[in-house]
Amino acid sequence: MAESEAIDGVVPRSVVEPATIEEVAAAIRDAAERDLAVVPRGLGGHLDVGGPPRRADMLLSMRSVSRIVDHQAADMTVRVEAGCPLSRLASTLAGAGQWLPLDPPGSEATTVGGLLATNLAGPLRASQGTARDLLIGLTVVAHDGALVSGGGRVVKNVAGYDMPKMHVGALGTLGVIVEATFKVRPRPALEAAIAMACASPEEAGDLALALRDACEPLWLEIVGPDPAGSSGDLGFGESWSVVAGAGGVTEEVRDALARYAETGGARVLETEVPEAAELRARIADRTLHPLGATIRAATLPTRVGAFLGKLSRSAATRGVSCRVHAHAANGVVRARLDGGESLGALVADVRAEVENEGGNLVVERAPPGVKRTLAAWPGIWGDPGPGLGLMKRIKSTFDPADRLSPGRFVC
Amino acid sequence: MLPSRLRERLRGLVGDAGIVDRREALLVYECDGYTLERAVPDLVVLPATPEEVAAVLRVLAEERIAFVPRGAGTGLSGGTLPVEAPVMVCTSRLQKIESIDLANRRVVAQAGVVNLWVTRAVAAAGLLYAPDPSSQTACTIGGNVAENSGGPHTLKYGVTTNHVLGVELVLPSGEVVSLGGAVEERVGYDLTGLVVGAEGTFGLVTRATLRLTRAPEAHRTFLAVFDSVEDASEAVSDIIAGGIVPAALEMMDGLILRAVEDAFHAGLPVDAGAVLLVELDGPAAGLDPQAAQVVALCTRRRAREVRVAADEAERALLWKARKRAFGAVGRLAPNYCTQDGVVPRTRVPDILRAISAAAERHRLRIGNVFHAGDGNIHPIILFDERDEDEVRRVLAAGREILEACIALGGSVTGEHGIGVEKIAQMPLLFSPSDLLAMTSLRAVFDPEGRSNPHKLLPDAKVCVESRAPRRQAAM
Repeated sequence: MAESEAIDGVVPRSVVEPATIEEVAAAIRDAAERDLAVVPRGLGGHLDVGGPPRRADMLLSMRSVSRIVDHQAADMTVRVEAGCPLSRLASTLAGAGQWLPLDPPGSEATTVGGLLATNLAGPLRASQGTARDLLIGLTVVAHDGALVSGGGRVVKNVAGYDMPKMHVGALGTLGVIVEATFKVRPRPALEAAIAMACASPEEAGDLALALRDACEPLWLEIVGPDPAGSSGDLGFGESWSVVAGAGGVTEEVRDALARYAETGGARVLETEVPEAAELRARIADRTLHPLGATIRAATLPTRVGAFLGKLSRSAATRGVSCRVHAHAANGVVRARLDGGESLGALVADVRAEVENEGGNLVVERAPPGVKRTLAAWPGIWGDPGPGLGLMKRIKSTFDPADRLSPGRFVC
Repeated sequence: MLPSRLRERLRGLVGDAGIVDRREALLVYECDGYTLERAVPDLVVLPATPEEVAAVLRVLAEERIAFVPRGAGTGLSGGTLPVEAPVMVCTSRLQKIESIDLANRRVVAQAGVVNLWVTRAVAAAGLLYAPDPSSQTACTIGGNVAENSGGPHTLKYGVTTNHVLGVELVLPSGEVVSLGGAVEERVGYDLTGLVVGAEGTFGLVTRATLRLTRAPEAHRTFLAVFDSVEDASEAVSDIIAGGIVPAALEMMDGLILRAVEDAFHAGLPVDAGAVLLVELDGPAAGLDPQAAQVVALCTRRRAREVRVAADEAERALLWKARKRAFGAVGRLAPNYCTQDGVVPRTRVPDILRAISAAAERHRLRIGNVFHAGDGNIHPIILFDERDEDEVRRVLAAGREILEACIALGGSVTGEHGIGVEKIAQMPLLFSPSDLLAMTSLRAVFDPEGRSNPHKLLPDAKVCVESRAPRRQAAM
């Protein structure tokens, strides 16, 4: 197999590309009979997310299982196969004035299955939630090849356990996602954004919460200075910036921007940045392709500013370049950490900081060599908390032979 | 009967105030809001703290006794009915709101905290707890978590699971596990997401970390009056398809309208076929253009009047009428039961026709008051439990309505849960492999099947037929 098919440096022995859900099930049955470890792949945009696989005998390419099965525009639901790229789904939905309002990093290289398996989310989570909030039904192929569904096609449904949630963010370790049903939303008639500059990350943290309180934002990001250049990858210069997005009908967008401008005062850089939606995607993408590692920290919204300060100072001290942004209203920080000898020590240090305050920090993605080093110490995941025992039991129940993406997740 | 040694051990843990064992006092616990089946527990234990809950569950684990969790008993699917579970563990004394973090919009509440208390505790800061079941003045956070409760405003704001960030779960073994927490990302599987809606079959939730929502700055609340249910349901479809996301979109039909008006004098049009209660909310700036659109869409579907709530008092009255509609129905018949099916929103007219056909076929009166915007129906079937033949017809009509929901691509429950009531429909919704996966998941949390046995999942031991004699005996 080609190196390009490698998953964290592990080259699979075979690549299978089924064309239908039934063929996926047949492939998994075959893998079960031959005791092969299976790792699913969509567009390959996020194969560097998660722990390095212990085994990867069969790479299961989902790219041909990609139909948009049923878009019921008037019901505002869509059923789609896992291999469907988000961009194709977006075009279909846009035709009806709708969207699936999830904007993960690397959205252009993400399939529906990849989105769900990684549970990646972007700036829109400030107002729209994450995959778990929009997913209403899911079908997976279980370890033995059986098709297992949960949820349904309706927007409100409490029949049975909420099985779809078990697979969201599970990196394919409990089943191979083959089909999902989402509730979709009307796409705002207008999206706009305003940018502000702050002298420090702490000030940016405070300003962001003041903006949140001035008017619920569509999205709200703190963007750190770009270590690579003085003009910055996003054109905000060397300062810490806060960007607030507004969406809706013209009247509400104008009203929101006016309130933000008033709250920001002299710190306003641009009262209306051009191409707000495109800027949002560029912010989401700014921590992709790390040379070192991309980390994701979750803390409380009020602690984001202080954490950003601590992170950027620690990185500077250790000679690590840090390109960072934060979903300020959600308390989620992403940073691409490049260079430096002491990446592991930096991760351990800032992880301790957030874990002490009840948060968590994971190594979201890294090139294979760096990832293996970090996996040895300080670990990809940090402390999963007191639920770890239950998680191990779930894994051994739903994948007793440990053949589904083994090693990719916490257990 | 429980051995008296066990009773005394439990009494030792929770004191006299935490034990109910007199026959007449136990009768209170024989059913929840689903009254068609009743069973009296042998013993009710009311721990006062999360630690006492854990201690009680440890004793029950040692003695291998099955138990039923219960909150305020407002459930509508018989989720708290004791079925081969002699001990009921009630969380109603766990009433502390343990922490409020306004800046981060988080609350930690014990299981027995009443839903509305959370909103009251944070209202002055302009925040609220979004899930608002109609029983919110009585139902508890623990019960909401167990049932993944909804409410009228979940159309825009989502149901309980969208607002619970973490739970403390006492496993049936008595082990206490804290899952999730105050931050929005987790490491590992979404255990909190699995526990919410598990109907108490994974153990007992003692605390939950809740996300608060900003209270809307402004509302536009309308009552659109229609001569027919069909026109009203077409208007619902048009509003949703028009790209508007109302905060709530509720329907009441003529039968319900008249009962509610008799009870509350809210000025409802008693000669109407149906009304829609539509609420838009958010910053004032965007509301008027959307309001105009809603009025136009209703008018196009022949609404004879669209009344706008002039002030907060009028809005409150309309909502009171809606949320207490179930209570008002008590005036119409000695008993009623309600269904909780869901259909794709565009199929609301179809399911309403099916309901009306079932009413005719079984010679029953059925009213409708429901979350039309979500496609979540609540047909209220009126009956007299002393009339055995009528009870049989009620059960038959209920089954037919749920099966019609499934046939239309929907589900048998949107917010009330499966409980004991809808177990028979589970195999119609899910394949044997789907159900096996659920059974396996249950065993992860409760390998001995002692927490709320014979609920939610069909099992070989208790089938519908074997429950029927008890149902008869109860009535």
